Amino acid sequence: MEHFAKENGRRRNLLFCTLWLSMALLSTNFSKNCFKILEDAFLKLSATYTSPQIRDRHVLNPKPRLRNPTWFIRKQRAETDEKLTPENEGFIKEVVQDKYNQTQPVEAISNVEWTPNLQRTGLIARKIGIYPLWKKDGKKIQTTLLQVLDNHVIRYYPPEEYNPPRKRPGRIYNKKACLLMGAEAADPSTFTKEYCGIFKQSGVIPKKTLGRFFVSPNAALPLGTLVNAMHFQVGNAVDVRGKTTDRGFQGVMKRHGFKGMPASHGVTKTHRRGGNIGGGGEKGRVWPGTKMPGHMGNRYRVAKGLKILRINTSHNVLYVSGQAIPGETNSIVYIYDTKLPLRKPVNPLPLPTYLGDVDENVPENIYDESIHSFSDPTVVYDESK
Amino acid sequence: MFQSSLKMCVRLSSTSREGLRRISSSIKPVGAHSVRSKPDSLKQEILEYRHVYPEFLPDPKFEFRNSVREKLERNDMIARRQNIDIPEFYVGSIMAVESSDPHTPGKTHRFVGICIQRGGCGLRAHFTLRNVIDHQGVEVQYEMYDPTIHKVDVLKLEKRLDDELLYLRDALPEYSTFDPNMEPEILSEGTSVPVNTIKVKLKPKPWLERWERKNLQGVQDLELDEKFYKKAEEVATPWEKYDLMKEYMRTIPVEEQTEIYGELQTKLQKLNAQGKKMKRKRVFVKPTKLA
Repeated sequence: MEHFAKENGRRRNLLFCTLWLSMALLSTNFSKNCFKILEDAFLKLSATYTSPQIRDRHVLNPKPRLRNPTWFIRKQRAETDEKLTPENEGFIKEVVQDKYNQTQPVEAISNVEWTPNLQRTGLIARKIGIYPLWKKDGKKIQTTLLQVLDNHVIRYYPPEEYNPPRKRPGRIYNKKACLLMGAEAADPSTFTKEYCGIFKQSGVIPKKTLGRFFVSPNAALPLGTLVNAMHFQVGNAVDVRGKTTDRGFQGVMKRHGFKGMPASHGVTKTHRRGGNIGGGGEKGRVWPGTKMPGHMGNRYRVAKGLKILRINTSHNVLYVSGQAIPGETNSIVYIYDTKLPLRKPVNPLPLPTYLGDVDENVPENIYDESIHSFSDPTVVYDESK
Repeated sequence: MFQSSLKMCVRLSSTSREGLRRISSSIKPVGAHSVRSKPDSLKQEILEYRHVYPEFLPDPKFEFRNSVREKLERNDMIARRQNIDIPEFYVGSIMAVESSDPHTPGKTHRFVGICIQRGGCGLRAHFTLRNVIDHQGVEVQYEMYDPTIHKVDVLKLEKRLDDELLYLRDALPEYSTFDPNMEPEILSEGTSVPVNTIKVKLKPKPWLERWERKNLQGVQDLELDEKFYKKAEEVATPWEKYDLMKEYMRTIPVEEQTEIYGELQTKLQKLNAQGKKMKRKRVFVKPTKLA
């Protein structure tokens, strides 16, 4: 009896539904099932129907899309006269030393084998100058010296946790993790409390410079690991990112290498000017992207595919080919394994980083095979070659 | 001796604009208390190095300076000097350089000439030799730390009245003609470097530069119209030598020089001793006569 009643009810429901569909628009009582059907119907409709352009729809001041990373915190503390006695100053120094010397050096472990697809961390370095090296064939080559600073791992964001300030359109396949590195230890009392908080997790003394590096999760480093110049190998290529020299507002000749105009032959008041900036007729306007005077420099640029020719292990200095690396002498640069497909390393790299000690067994200077060491005897050209 | 070198220094600073950029002239005259204590004389000895090894001083442009780079550079220079003896020389010295040449494999190429210019600092240090060969003026610029250079010999150690002898290009060819098979002249130890006060005769105009504006000491009368000298006087900047700020910006302070050469002293002395040993050895070897 009961069974029959249920069956009956179902049938009645179905009947209801069909009935209801026919007068769906009139009905105010929606059920879940019908919602879906309606949605599908609308979707089909919308696929064929294009709405007319609606003007004045934009918001005048849209919310900024750029959101700063979490570690962009006010760094420098306002200077206040603390009226400390020399003894107290000494005591504060002691406290700082005690606090940060307790942390044990972290040992990274490597159980992952290197493959060309794995992305390792980069390093923070300082450009310290340019000087020539000579190749074994007697040719001179200009090199830039990059001193790798005291790079410590400050924070690690796994791929699912890292929330980038700028979202990239489309789906991202094998998302990278993010490693926050710090360089140049400094007196923590000069920094704000919030800035020092960044370093709490790793137990590292607060650093002046921070750098964000994307890594494969397999190539991640434990917090507090110290990374040195041996992270890179001689003969491999690196990309170096730096902030170019700020040249201020510059004319078109300096900024874009225009030719300028003649100095004489009746030319007046237009010697360093750009000349025409657009045509007439249909293209009667200044086209976007026209090269004009403006601010030059002080922006990040990447010099790609620079070969490491020599490494000084005692001073942590990389000698990198080329003399046009962005940034002034003594400015901070960021070094990465190269992204250029033809210059990617073939031999395995130390993963996640060089884990051995830098002691007597490691030579002070490691040269690329093409480079002549200054302590080598004079170059002699072989007759047989 | 120091007095004379001081005079030299003053004279150089008054004549030079570009030439001796790295040499500080802000040394106080020591006079009476120069022989008073030993550390002072040692300091003076160290400071003498700036004339012999000027390339060890870094570029004074402050935007290019970095202490670590400078140290590494000096270490490399010393490492190279252990393989090759680069003797003391000045602009005006007659030198011979042997270098390997990719076009003549297995052999070395020897060039003899007068040093007309010396410049650069650190591993970029260079000098230019000039000679007239088969009535054709030839100049070769050598880099001091280039590993293709086998030997640098000073055939005649002397100075001239000017920091740069680029005017030899416009001088009569006999002033820059030197015998390629010249025998080296050996000065007895302890003598100061002689100054050759020869006055060079320039060819008539056209010249490569306006030599009348360069305040040259080592040239004869230029035989120009009065208007050239008048213009030269107008363009001259005689007050620049009193500009202390400019002086400071284009030189390395004495304190820093003593620090740099003090660090280098033991290494340089060792190198010198090595060089002398090699020289003595060479004296005993009987020279082979050329055909």
